[in-house]
Amino acid sequence: MQNKRVLTLAGLLVAVGLVATTACSDQHGAAQAPAPAAAVKTAFPGLTPASGEPTLDGLSQQHPAPGTVATVPGPFDDRFDFADLTLNRDAVSGSIKVTSDVSEILELQVIAGLYDSNGQLLHTGRFVYHRTEDGHDHQAPEELETFSIALPSQLHGRVASAAVGVPVLVNE
Amino acid sequence: MSTRIRTGSAAAAVVLLAGAVGTGVVSSTSATAAGGSNGRVKNVIYLLGDGMGRTHVTAARERFYGAAGHLAMETMPVVGQVSTYAVEKNSGQPGAADFVPNYVTDSASAATAWASGVKTYNAALGIDGKGKVVPTAMELAKQAGYRTGNVSTAEITDATPAGQMSHALARGCQGPSYSDAACQDTKVTGALLPTSDVRVTPIADQIARNGTADVILGGGLARFDAADEKALQEQGYTVLGSPASQAVATRGNLASAQGDKVFGLFNKGNLTIEKYKREHPDSPQAAEPSLPEMTSKAIDLLAGNNGGGKGFYLQVEGALIDKRSHANDAAQTLEEMKAFDDAVKVALDFAKRDGHTLVIVTADHECAGFNIIEKGSFTNAEAAAPPVNVDGGNTANNSTPTRPGGNVKDPNRSTGIVNGAGASDPRNFAPATFRTPDDPAAVRDGSPEASLWLTYLSGNHTGADVPVFAYGSGAEAMAGSIDNTDLFTVVGRALGLAG
Repeated sequence: MQNKRVLTLAGLLVAVGLVATTACSDQHGAAQAPAPAAAVKTAFPGLTPASGEPTLDGLSQQHPAPGTVATVPGPFDDRFDFADLTLNRDAVSGSIKVTSDVSEILELQVIAGLYDSNGQLLHTGRFVYHRTEDGHDHQAPEELETFSIALPSQLHGRVASAAVGVPVLVNE
Repeated sequence: MSTRIRTGSAAAAVVLLAGAVGTGVVSSTSATAAGGSNGRVKNVIYLLGDGMGRTHVTAARERFYGAAGHLAMETMPVVGQVSTYAVEKNSGQPGAADFVPNYVTDSASAATAWASGVKTYNAALGIDGKGKVVPTAMELAKQAGYRTGNVSTAEITDATPAGQMSHALARGCQGPSYSDAACQDTKVTGALLPTSDVRVTPIADQIARNGTADVILGGGLARFDAADEKALQEQGYTVLGSPASQAVATRGNLASAQGDKVFGLFNKGNLTIEKYKREHPDSPQAAEPSLPEMTSKAIDLLAGNNGGGKGFYLQVEGALIDKRSHANDAAQTLEEMKAFDDAVKVALDFAKRDGHTLVIVTADHECAGFNIIEKGSFTNAEAAAPPVNVDGGNTANNSTPTRPGGNVKDPNRSTGIVNGAGASDPRNFAPATFRTPDDPAAVRDGSPEASLWLTYLSGNHTGADVPVFAYGSGAEAMAGSIDNTDLFTVVGRALGLAG
């Protein structure tokens, strides 16, 4: 019932809007214009909707040497520098310094592949940074973001190397 | 989905009506006071200086033309000021019981205001404050048979250009990949939306497939991929460079481009600042076209293929004014202002020749509290304490807290002109100084003798109103104080789209 009321109100508003449109637009012959909503394309045939979080093709092709943290190519590699990449018993960590823009980081994902001593991919983890407006936490623009991606406890002792890359990066 | 869109469209239509009543001055045939036009408006060129406050305009004028000079935008006959506030998530529109304003907008909320005529929350594009899809002026123009163009020095998926040709819960959902964090907002939708919903579809995917703009010029090639290139070509776009191979387009590609639909991105990210290109003429970045060049070409493409005389709607953004203001980099900000104003001149020259073009120049918000201070003076940021507020001779002028003294430069916070003697100190709050045409020839930038002293309040947006300049039929509607949502009404009325 509530939905019906919403639809009825929506229909009325559309009618009001179209009457206003028609009344004001005769100079341009817009009286026969289609409804404004029809101007919005909301479906994209041929575009496969996303089925999960982003990844990087290079993760499965890496075979980093034991004790190392390699980097995997991504779409934004010309916009940042990795620093202090470290793998220990508990986590892969490091920092990213955005070099292309001084405005705030809005979105950042760092993805990490974890490999055994033979270079076989065991697990993929990720660090996600999302700037929120909710707390009104307007800070000075920040270019540096540190990250740490925990190793699953069941893999402790088995992870020999790692590789990291960035599939998501947006600055304000 | 269809219900949501119907409701959203209705809201936009009502706002259009309300806006028209509120401004009450739109006339698409009265032209003399507003300059040049002699009748029906066929074209609208909407130029947006991102982050361009009133002081940005004044500083650029003084820097490049002197105190008695004028920027091209300042020669336009109609001048007004625009309020820019946003709303909080799930807010109603102004006047509604659940209306909750946010006094400082971001570029996304502001773009939605002028593109769709509704207030929305910061980060939202093409939706209202409650997440409902609303049509944009560019979509309506396209639907009505106008040719359309969108030009920016930012990534073309960035908020300002995206505000005309996408609908997204969050401006960070730019692509090429979807992610929950970047694209969803359950505080607005209650639950995760299916990834087929346009509001969580990466903006690059939308732009490459919705055909909203016939001419798309800017940066952000890294947001697009091979599938996007294929989708563009299937719609008839001439694609300059290649999203598939990530080969950026060049100025030469643009110069020779032809066709009804052209897509050209000249950098994988934002375009390069003018100052760098000027100082590095042999760099690859110097092959990027300037904003005036892109504007000129976009007008040629749109006016030369004008759909049987219907006309066109073109949006042009000088994006790097904002980005360099965030950085408090006055030297680069000023040169981006110059490039933007040169683009305004291109548009204005066309409008004067054409006689049927409305030109609007405005901003989405002010950035960084840009200020011109008196030569030799200093700001609070440089001071040991704020100005004295004690009047010993008349205690009625005293206030709380009392500050009897201390308003002197703090030597630790003011270590020399920031683009001069204090350039090596990253903690220095001193002004940047620039010579102007009014200065003797020997005066140099960064010296105490330079007459233009510029300072910043912060590295963030402010809530100040922004200027609007207009030329052509319908320009009178922008005189005085208006709201950024009124600009949707103005464009809609000019092109006969609504209201």
